[in-house]
Amino acid sequence: MAEEVKIVMFCCNWCSYGGADTAGTARMQYPPNIRVIRVMCSGRIDPQFVLKAFREGADGVIVAGCHMGDCHYDAGNYKLDRRMRIIYNLIEELGIGRERLYHDWISASEGEKFANTVRMMVARIKDLGPSPLKEQIEA
Amino acid sequence: MADEKIKIGTMWLGGCSGCHLAIADFHESLIDILELADFEFSPVLCDTKYDEIPELDVCIIEGGIRNDENRELAELLREKSKLVIAFGTCAVYGGIPGLGNLHTVEELTTEAYKNSVSTPNEEGIIPNEEVPHLENRVRSLPQAIDVDLIIPGCPPRSDVVAEAILTLLNGGTIELPTTNLCEVCPREKPPEGLAMDFVKRQMELGRPEDDLCLIAQGLVCLGPATVSLCGAECPAIAVPCRGCYGPTAKIVDAGAKMISAIASDYRVGDDKTVDPEEVAGQLDDLVGTFYSYTLPAALVPMKMQKGGK
Repeated sequence: MAEEVKIVMFCCNWCSYGGADTAGTARMQYPPNIRVIRVMCSGRIDPQFVLKAFREGADGVIVAGCHMGDCHYDAGNYKLDRRMRIIYNLIEELGIGRERLYHDWISASEGEKFANTVRMMVARIKDLGPSPLKEQIEA
Repeated sequence: MADEKIKIGTMWLGGCSGCHLAIADFHESLIDILELADFEFSPVLCDTKYDEIPELDVCIIEGGIRNDENRELAELLREKSKLVIAFGTCAVYGGIPGLGNLHTVEELTTEAYKNSVSTPNEEGIIPNEEVPHLENRVRSLPQAIDVDLIIPGCPPRSDVVAEAILTLLNGGTIELPTTNLCEVCPREKPPEGLAMDFVKRQMELGRPEDDLCLIAQGLVCLGPATVSLCGAECPAIAVPCRGCYGPTAKIVDAGAKMISAIASDYRVGDDKTVDPEEVAGQLDDLVGTFYSYTLPAALVPMKMQKGGK
């Protein structure tokens, strides 16, 4: 069903995962299409994680980390930022399309921003439709 | 039976036959090998019939799976052989033909039979009878059949292969190196690591400095994500590694790993002030740069086609 798009969301332990908790404790409403994977730092996120998510059938991927300057490990998110710009270009070349990937900075207090990001991305992916990549790889 | 010779077969599938040249280049080692074994089946060397393939002890298969004939022969040879070696990068990772995965079969055949300048084909006929049909994408040999040993390389170095085969024939075991190219590269690694300050192509840079790591000089050298089987011959003569031996066994997707390495360390000294778009803007043709040899074995092995909704 086109309604049931799957989005994998990588959240860093110190800020964005806290943001998800804040959204939860405040009982904010957002669509249930995301699967959150916690990593210690957004700098840990390897292009392989994003590609693997798409390969396994994700229709979209969100990567969230601390705001610039807030990284618990000083500069992990700066490294991720540079990496993400290349991953956007790579998945565009691979036909997946850069719109299916999104990265942003969400702090532990920004429950509202977390919910908004999820809402925005779910709407965008519903608009694009499910990704046929998994089907095509397994064909 | 004890002194009966070991039966070796060789086969070419979706490759260029360059790996067979590595076998032809065995030189004196060939004498040692032929003392222990015979080439019983080899379309390159002898007249063979596909319905008369003998039982083989070792089968060396070059090339990946491009069409349905490749797949049929790979499955047949798997049945007939006790040990199958995926020989060369095309067999192990899909190799350069794998870049065809960026296009559909229709695009490829149209380009080959209609659009190419050197093909007179006024009626626009695409051969479809009595020729093998292309599969929807190139696959590596291990994606089609069980493989007992991989020897990557484009082509694999003859001395390495000869040694490996002699070891096998003498009942020994073979282990591929687990280190990357940098471990054996003669160039000096800068103490601050593999940070780049800019990305350049070789023609823009001119002759790189002798003895200094090529990445530190701005060239995209895939050495950090490539297995050290080749002995770093290219970087030694100032040519950046293109990753033709594929990654070490610990890496799933060599291209993604290399992208990660380059982006993370790009101007790492100015981590917090450098424009994040800067490095992405300097890299063109990412698949061609980072996946020239390994696209079919990558996590996303093909270009996604629209549709499927």
